[in-house]
Amino acid sequence: METIVSAEQVGKQVEVASGTLTILQEVSFAVAAGESLAIIGVSGSGKSTLLGLLAGLDLPSSGRITLAGEELNALDEDGRARLRGQKVGFVFQTFQLLPGLTALENVMLPLELAGNAAAMAQATALLERVGLAQRLDHYPKQLSGGEQQRVAIARAFAGSPALLFADEPTGNLDAATGGRIIDLLFELNAEQGTTLILVTHDDKLAGRCGRRLHLDGGRVVADESKNGVRK
Amino acid sequence: MNRLKLAWRLLLRDWRAGELRILFAALVIAVGATSAIGFFTDRLQRAMGSQSAELLGADLILRSPRPVAETWLTHATTLGLRHSEALEFPSMVLRGDEMRLAGIKAVQDGYPLRGSLRISDTPWGVERAGDGIPPPGEAWAEARLLPLLGLEVGQALTLGDIELKVTRVVAFEPGGGGNFAALAPRLLVNRADIEHAGILGPGSRISRNYLFAGEIAALERYKRWLMPQLEPSHRLVDVREDRPTVGAALERAERYLGLASLAAVLLAGVAIAMGARRYSERHFDVSAMLRCLGASQDDILALYLPQLLLLGLIGSGVGVALGALVQAGLFQLLHELLPVRLPPPGLLPALLGLLTGLVVLAGFALPPILRLRQVPALRVLRRELTPLPLRAWLVYGAAIGAMTLLMGRYTGSATLTLSVLGGAAAALILLGVLAWLLLRASRALRHGAGVAWRYGLNNLWRRPWAASGQILAFGLTLMAMALIALLRNDLLATWQAQLPERAPNHFVVNVLPDEVARFESFLQDHAIDSAQLYPLVRGRLTAVNDTPVEQVLAPGDDGGGAVNRELNLTWSNTLQEDNAIVAGRWWTAQDAGQPLVSLEAKLAERLGARVGDRLLFTFGGGSELAVRVASLRTVKWDSFKPNFFVIFAPGVLDAQPATWMTSLYAAPEQRAAMAQMVREFPAVTVIDLERLMEQVRRIMEQVTLAVEYVLIFVLLAGFAVLYAALQSSLDERLYEGALLRTLGASRYQLRAGHLAEYALLGLLAGLFAAAGSELIAWQLYTRVFQLDYVFKWPLWLLLPPIGAALIGAAGYWGTRHVVRRSPLAVLRAL
Ligand SMILES: Nc1ncnc2c1ncn2[C@@H]1O[C@H](COP(=O)(O)OP(=O)(O)OP(=O)(O)O)[C@@H](O)[C@H]1O
Ligand SMILES: [Mg+2]
Repeated sequence: METIVSAEQVGKQVEVASGTLTILQEVSFAVAAGESLAIIGVSGSGKSTLLGLLAGLDLPSSGRITLAGEELNALDEDGRARLRGQKVGFVFQTFQLLPGLTALENVMLPLELAGNAAAMAQATALLERVGLAQRLDHYPKQLSGGEQQRVAIARAFAGSPALLFADEPTGNLDAATGGRIIDLLFELNAEQGTTLILVTHDDKLAGRCGRRLHLDGGRVVADESKNGVRK
Repeated sequence: MNRLKLAWRLLLRDWRAGELRILFAALVIAVGATSAIGFFTDRLQRAMGSQSAELLGADLILRSPRPVAETWLTHATTLGLRHSEALEFPSMVLRGDEMRLAGIKAVQDGYPLRGSLRISDTPWGVERAGDGIPPPGEAWAEARLLPLLGLEVGQALTLGDIELKVTRVVAFEPGGGGNFAALAPRLLVNRADIEHAGILGPGSRISRNYLFAGEIAALERYKRWLMPQLEPSHRLVDVREDRPTVGAALERAERYLGLASLAAVLLAGVAIAMGARRYSERHFDVSAMLRCLGASQDDILALYLPQLLLLGLIGSGVGVALGALVQAGLFQLLHELLPVRLPPPGLLPALLGLLTGLVVLAGFALPPILRLRQVPALRVLRRELTPLPLRAWLVYGAAIGAMTLLMGRYTGSATLTLSVLGGAAAALILLGVLAWLLLRASRALRHGAGVAWRYGLNNLWRRPWAASGQILAFGLTLMAMALIALLRNDLLATWQAQLPERAPNHFVVNVLPDEVARFESFLQDHAIDSAQLYPLVRGRLTAVNDTPVEQVLAPGDDGGGAVNRELNLTWSNTLQEDNAIVAGRWWTAQDAGQPLVSLEAKLAERLGARVGDRLLFTFGGGSELAVRVASLRTVKWDSFKPNFFVIFAPGVLDAQPATWMTSLYAAPEQRAAMAQMVREFPAVTVIDLERLMEQVRRIMEQVTLAVEYVLIFVLLAGFAVLYAALQSSLDERLYEGALLRTLGASRYQLRAGHLAEYALLGLLAGLFAAAGSELIAWQLYTRVFQLDYVFKWPLWLLLPPIGAALIGAAGYWGTRHVVRRSPLAVLRAL
């Protein structure tokens, strides 16, 4: 299977008032195209930081990350932005919809940025797919948390990304709503063959992923797939 | 193209979502206020100019000793200018045995091109506006000519070979008074008669006046065309040059209005800066999201800069339209007080308004918008990541650059711009620190206060820099208003005080040397107030440092009328009260008899003459006198007192024949005494200044009025700042308010807290404004208007409470939603 994301000896340090804080160290793993990976661990273990690095939102202090065949360290900020635009979709815990745009406009945004002429039609279709056909013209604050998250998912899949990153996509939702969101994620993952990488505290969600990466204190302490522990 | 469309769509979406309201409102008010002022002052200035043209009888006069080339007149016609020719020359008129020198003015149909003659049927009788000119065979005479000839209206006099019947008395003649070089009483005749009078032989001293009137643009073009062709003997006269008195009043008026409009521009800038900052901060998430979705930094700029430009164009357009409406309404309101003949609104203020909008936007809104480019994509995961704060030099540099540009344009004066900007910059630095210190000091207030009060004050102390910024913004608003009020009351009053009720309203010239003592006692006996008597010697300035005067001046420049014609020279021991030495020194008793002169500063500048330079004067008998410049003086031409371009040291001019002159105030009930004076001193000539003064008073009244209305615009701009500052502090207040209410704070506590917070802000802003206006006013008074400055203590008493009340009320009103909306709705909207 073709590798779509890989990390080699990735470390991340930040300068804080009391000195240097190490958030991640010696993180190495590879994800194959079409896989679904859950990053788990206690709060503060470095999950969000790792996700950000993998998605090219930030650069590691040491080590290399390769995304869709491109080495992130070799790209500048704008190069990484281009790569994100072409290959990557995001879903966040707080839904990161733009408050000034309607549901439809939020979903259209990545398509418009890519210069897609059929943005409106594709976005409408996606919103229908996530069950929000009636809410196209509503602003985020007029939608419930679950509905907002569905809009965010529709937007994440809008560009037909090769990779989808999600940071606690069900963190703010009740169990039932969270369950429906998870179903939706995996359905779309299956339909489009997208690679899923998500951070979660939710065992049910983690359990549905093909593979789980366990972080503790910034290190990978376990890397297990459904058919057995790898490391 | 796609990007542009997207930018446009984002703009529309922002608009719908209400994100642009503040920025747009600030921009519209800013441009509306400045362009309303622009339209208003432009039209008023042109109207005032045309009023002065009514005094001159034309917009432009070309004086020439000879007929000018026919093409000069046809070109004027091509440009759409009207013209008329008037001949002026001295000639003897006779009635029986009596014989007098009269200043003949022969006019054609159409004269005067601007304004009108004032005539009456009897000498000093009831005046009315004259229509037309004397028909052939008739003449209209100045009142004082009649007793000199023993003539009555309806009787005939002889001019050269012809008889003319005097049918009217001329009380006022455009282009006539104010120049007491023309000492002989006026006789107005029809041009057609002159040909037959046989008095225009070769060598007669004739001055041909070509009067022009028309559109300002056409006049300007004509002037530019004509200037290079003028010969030294030609004089081009427009309002300003013809009459230093009215010119000086106009100049002052323009400065007052320019200054008032500055305040509005400054406030507008502040409002826009605050609106833009809020806009930018509210778009950090959008920008981060866009970056996350693959937009490059340049993409971000490519999305936001066109939005800014579009917003600027639309906002400025709406602002200009608003400004045009407001000024139209204003003129409607004021139509009774304003001159009847108003020029239509010009295109220039509209363009200037648009430009103002764009420049202000670029100076104040661009830096915060540029910040959007720097938003890190990682912000989508870590909300607290904000772009680096902008470099201070960029923010202030852009703002100061924009202001300098605009102020320079609005004031047209480097001194004014620099003094206001310098004052503002010094004030900002000093007072920014002061605001912060005040804030710190006010912490002492927290003791013994209730919860609400403490909560409100805490809001300020928690963000000392944000609060200092607000103090600055509110303070600037109050400061601008205070300055305008000062202007209105103080500067105008000082100006008007120069023209008191009993300002001289007559000039008396040609008092013979042996009559001086008798004349002075006559004035005393009749209780007539007069200035000192000055000797008057006629002479010409012919050379500066051995260079003939014609070569010193630019072609067409006649040195403000002081060169190439007989000058009124005088000598004096003492300097006039309202003159001021700007270079060199006034003479002492030891200098008596030394060949020294004191020169009016502006004339010196045109001549390029400095202290120590040599001037050559020529006198009637052909004698010459070389003198040295001992000092340069500024002169208040609008004081209606005797004023002179050149004053000699005592004793130097003793060899020259002199007559004496003064200015005096004659009350209406002293008219009889004036008539007796004319009889007792037949040689004396009295020149009535009443009309000229009325003109200057009217200009003052209009300026006062205009400044008052400009104050309204400044207030509007001030409210824009208030609104923007409130809005930008509101997001946080809303959130905190909702949180506090979920934690159990009562509405009352929140409201009281807000009131306390904003009232304290207002109080501090008031103090700030008092200090700032003191500083700027001091600069303005001493540097620009040359007035004495007294400490303005009322500012310190009034501004802090006004600020507390105004800002407190506005803040209280602005934050009402914080408690009206349910906490849930607020928290969800975030
Ligand atoms: N820029 C930074 N400066 C300082 N500390 C940082 C920075 N970025 C991350 N950290 C710290 O690194 C640690 C890991 O942060 P991260 O957000 O990755 O944790 P997490 O595993 O996602 O936790 P949670 O489950 O609570 O979201 C935390 O202690 C965080 O405070
Ligand atoms: Mg996290």
